[in-house]
Amino acid sequence: MDHGGPAPPEPVTYLCGDCGADNTLKPGDVIQCRECGYRILYKKRTRRIVQFEAR
Amino acid sequence: MVAETKPSILETESKANIRKVKFEESCKADGDLKYADPRVAFEKELYGGKHLEVPLRSTVDKFALLPAFLKVKGLVKQHIDSFNYLINCEIKKIIHAKANEKITSDVDPNFYLKFTDIFVGKPCVEQDYIVEDITPHQCRLRDMTYAAPISVDVEYTRGKEIVVRKGKDGQGALVIGRMPLMLRSSRCVLYGKNEAELAKLGECPLDPGGYFVVKGTEKVILIQEQLSKNRIIIDTDSHGNVAASVTSSTHERKSKTNLAVKHEKIYLRHNTFGDDIPIVIVLKAMGVENDQEIVQMVGRDPKYAGILAPSMQECVSLSIYSQQQALEYLGSKVKSSRNMWVKAKRSKVDEARDILANVVLAHVPVIQYDFRNKCIYIAVMIRRMLEAMLNSEAVDDKDYVGNKRLELAGQLLALLFEDCFKRMNGELKKHVDITLSKANRSTQFDIAKCMRPDFLTSGLEHAISSGNWTVKRFRMDRKGVTQVVSRLSFIAALGHMTRITSQFEKTRKVSGPRALQPSQWGMLCPCDTPEGEACGLVKNLALMTHVTTDEDEGPIIALCTTLGVEDLSMLSGEELHAGSTFIVFFNGTILGVHRRPLRFADHLRKLRRAGKIGEFVSLHVHSGQRCIYIASDGGRVCRPLVIADKGVSRVKEHHMKELKDGFRTFEDFLREGLVEFLDVNEENNCLIALYEADATPATTHIEIEPFTILGVCAGLIPYPHHNQSPRNTYQCAMGKQAMGNIAYNQLSRMDTLLYMLVYPQRPLLTTKSIELVGYDKLGAGQNASVAVMSYSGYDIEDAIVMNKSSLDRGFGRCIVVKKYSTSLKKYQNRTADRIVAPQMIATGKNNIMAVASRCQLQDQDGIAAVGEMIRPGDIYVNKQSPINTRDDVPNPMAMKDSAYKPTPQTYKGPPGECAVVDKVLLTSNDENHFMIKALIRHTRRPEIGDKFSSRHGQKGVCGTIVQQEDFPFSEKGVCPDLIMNPHGFPSRMTVGKMIELLGGKAGVMSGKFHYGSAFGEPSGHADTVHAISNTLIRNGFSYSGKDFIYSGITGHPLQAYVFMGPIYYQKLKHMVLDKMHARARGPRVVLTRQPTEGRSREGGLRLGEMERDCLIAYGASMMILERLMISSDQFQIQVCTVCGLLGHYNHNLKMSYCSSCKNGASIATMKLPYACKLLFQELQSMNICPRLTLSEA
Repeated sequence: MDHGGPAPPEPVTYLCGDCGADNTLKPGDVIQCRECGYRILYKKRTRRIVQFEAR
Repeated sequence: MVAETKPSILETESKANIRKVKFEESCKADGDLKYADPRVAFEKELYGGKHLEVPLRSTVDKFALLPAFLKVKGLVKQHIDSFNYLINCEIKKIIHAKANEKITSDVDPNFYLKFTDIFVGKPCVEQDYIVEDITPHQCRLRDMTYAAPISVDVEYTRGKEIVVRKGKDGQGALVIGRMPLMLRSSRCVLYGKNEAELAKLGECPLDPGGYFVVKGTEKVILIQEQLSKNRIIIDTDSHGNVAASVTSSTHERKSKTNLAVKHEKIYLRHNTFGDDIPIVIVLKAMGVENDQEIVQMVGRDPKYAGILAPSMQECVSLSIYSQQQALEYLGSKVKSSRNMWVKAKRSKVDEARDILANVVLAHVPVIQYDFRNKCIYIAVMIRRMLEAMLNSEAVDDKDYVGNKRLELAGQLLALLFEDCFKRMNGELKKHVDITLSKANRSTQFDIAKCMRPDFLTSGLEHAISSGNWTVKRFRMDRKGVTQVVSRLSFIAALGHMTRITSQFEKTRKVSGPRALQPSQWGMLCPCDTPEGEACGLVKNLALMTHVTTDEDEGPIIALCTTLGVEDLSMLSGEELHAGSTFIVFFNGTILGVHRRPLRFADHLRKLRRAGKIGEFVSLHVHSGQRCIYIASDGGRVCRPLVIADKGVSRVKEHHMKELKDGFRTFEDFLREGLVEFLDVNEENNCLIALYEADATPATTHIEIEPFTILGVCAGLIPYPHHNQSPRNTYQCAMGKQAMGNIAYNQLSRMDTLLYMLVYPQRPLLTTKSIELVGYDKLGAGQNASVAVMSYSGYDIEDAIVMNKSSLDRGFGRCIVVKKYSTSLKKYQNRTADRIVAPQMIATGKNNIMAVASRCQLQDQDGIAAVGEMIRPGDIYVNKQSPINTRDDVPNPMAMKDSAYKPTPQTYKGPPGECAVVDKVLLTSNDENHFMIKALIRHTRRPEIGDKFSSRHGQKGVCGTIVQQEDFPFSEKGVCPDLIMNPHGFPSRMTVGKMIELLGGKAGVMSGKFHYGSAFGEPSGHADTVHAISNTLIRNGFSYSGKDFIYSGITGHPLQAYVFMGPIYYQKLKHMVLDKMHARARGPRVVLTRQPTEGRSREGGLRLGEMERDCLIAYGASMMILERLMISSDQFQIQVCTVCGLLGHYNHNLKMSYCSSCKNGASIATMKLPYACKLLFQELQSMNICPRLTLSEA
């Protein structure tokens, strides 16, 4: 896992639990979807490669 | 009396007439259909036109009634009905009660505030001044309370004007608080929704509802069982004397009145009187001065009068003859109340009269000091006591279910609500008095602006979330009323909703309340009760049980009068017990007498069946006590039964067909008087046939389905009637621990702990109950192919041998999902926690800047990314907290990094295992607290030591896992998934499990699910062994279910045939991974320096007192020394041999020193447990001086 390089930090986006819209959050923001006002957001799945062990 | 009932009329007539009458009746009953139905014509032909005494019985399959019942009533209908009653009716009654309706002021006589109406609205929450609708699922995720505003219509004075504030549909009225809503109640958003709509709201359609969501946790208010209120209970005390007791309960007051026998005289015992009061004096104080009348009221029969004589005599010996004298006597015995100064003006006589009128037997109303009703009530109590003295069988059974009432969520919440409401009104009144007493106010006083809604809200919310029910008015202080809904499995949650707890002390060693009562039949499940201390005290409702809610009394009383109940005031004592009259009780009070009791009962029942009075009104004629009891109160358990006329079921084939075709619902059956609800008392007046075929002409009712005597949990067991009964009880407990699926929305629920089976299956051998509750949709187990044989020796003590290839294919594989939640706290100096991106640190030889390995799973937002692997010690939320959380900080929003200290959230899981971050949710609750919930998923395959069980209370751990190559196999090549030791059968006697194996095997071969419903063989809901064996034979198997088996190790055929087939196996939540624990060295407690305790703290393994005793007995003294000191908390001390106190070692001077002798001359060094040294110092701190006397060892 060599992702520790000086990659430009792209903002993390979150999914709205209701409408599924992408949302970005800044510190101190109210947690609310910008599209529909739903107050539950989910994190997106990682873009990194994950290797599972099948047992 | 004899000639009034119908059957007795018939007796008097000739036999030929009977036939005719009955046949005509049957023609009438069948009506036009008789000719429409060709089958009837055929039957007529078959019986050669013979006059039939009764119409032909057809065994109608009434099973379809059950799903119809559950469709309208549901499994948790009791809870929902009771809560609906609260928010629709009871709450209105509470605010309209005299004591609650109006708030007045002591200061300003013109001021008033009157509540005119109350309404519980739709669930919503106000956030940032915006009102949003909420769903239960949102509340679970956001840790909020699912509640709806309670609004009131008020009328009050503001200055000189009268303000009327009235809402429409709950809008615009004054909000006084929020009521936590029960899921699926009539105000819930889930009410009346279909499956698709429920799915849209994020709710599982199979979830029963009936619980509350408070601060994000699901809470169920358990059903509380208690002795019936307002009923006379005759009991024997410790001396064997007969005693009568009544717990009176009205809206205002609760009191307990006892009548007891002492020295053959009857006394009244009540906690308002300091002494026992002779009962005759009480009666005289109530205005029955005439001894003859007393005797007449109790009963003139010499056998009664004889017993009463000593009591009469005592009254005379105290020379009390008049009412005045009696009241004076009572007045002298009244306990002086604490707040005597309040009512000091009243005389003792007045006080005594008031107590008699309002406190003693408070539920019998005394209007304008007309004691007539109460006198008769006491007389009836005495009569019942005398009867019990003469005949010990007349003593009541306290454990009889008919004498019990179940208190449900609605009633409990009503108590709480009223209490909170009263307190709120009290506070308001105080506020009004203070404000109005101030001379000049700048603005006009508007009480509507002084309402504090959080008072009610927090009162209700706190009680439900803590389970502490405290109502001072009724001296009620209960703990543990609510519980968190168990979501271990779907069945666990369902079973939790039907649970009943009793108020009995668990420590008392009496078997009565714990024993199975015959009257529980059909009402409470005979199997489902926990083992151990709560055994028999915690019960569960049966499948069809309904619990009544209160019903309006007025119309029923009026109806009774119309039907010929004679009022008490028109009767003399003599007439009370005369001839054929029966006393009519209504909800515990005497309504009057009736001269033709059976006819009265018949009429009232007919009216009930016709729907003119409530379907849950029960009527019970007690011929022994010569009483009729009518009950419409809440909390009675009842169940539906098919009505039969002279043993012929009213439900006919065409009814069931109409039900099947959807033209009929269960309600129609009720409305048309085909089915009715009976409570336990009324069952005593009925003759209930189990099957229609067993009915005799005396039969009045027919059971709908016999397996409904079992509850939800016991309903899962196939062939429970073939098992030894405790095995079914064990399974009821274990079914709740089985893994599987908990709900359709299980992955979005974010439960703290979720056990799931990777490949859950529905059982091959099902029961009707399974289909009714939906266990076939949310199963918790797998159909394992089981060989009953011994193998390898790793199968002793119920251990099972598992096939490794089966495990590879996914048998018993489960997922454990755990929730880790963090909230960002806000502190009083307006600083707050924050989350930062993972720091870069220099690592490796070349000092490359990289993210620390335990932070590598985080994204740039400092929160673990979904799908990443997580190992113990990894940080999933990189949180920082301000160091200073108290003092004011100049700019709390933009503080320097150095003002924060890292408070990372680390994952603690089983060491060496790696889990996956499954889901990360960010949200805020209604107080805008930021929260992060992370689900971490761990997939486990079965390992040695994991617990499994079949559905017959046969649990066992996995003893060994064997390669499939070594497993035995049948000549068809079938290789079992697990091997069970045959020793499990003889002592457990779980024949049901054997039949399950047979049925499962037949099911697999014939490609259909077989049934094994309880007691189902006669009605076809359980396949008989005979039928199953035939299927097996048809498919080329042995009828006995035994197979020809080859050894997997040698390849030779085994000597015996092996019983083999599929059995539904459950994986239980107890897994070795969560339990195994060992330690060589590890953390210690700071105070005592001994190893910590418990697995969670990586604690030591204690060598306890009994183990120590063994070592002493063996003489292994050095072993004791090692275990108790050297390996635990050894410590080196300096002891002064002169004074015997502890000294110390001075590192500067490099010498030991005794601080009390002020020298270091005679110091010895020794080792002792640190805890011992601590004890010496603690003793010194309390001025006890322990001195050590040393000698050379």
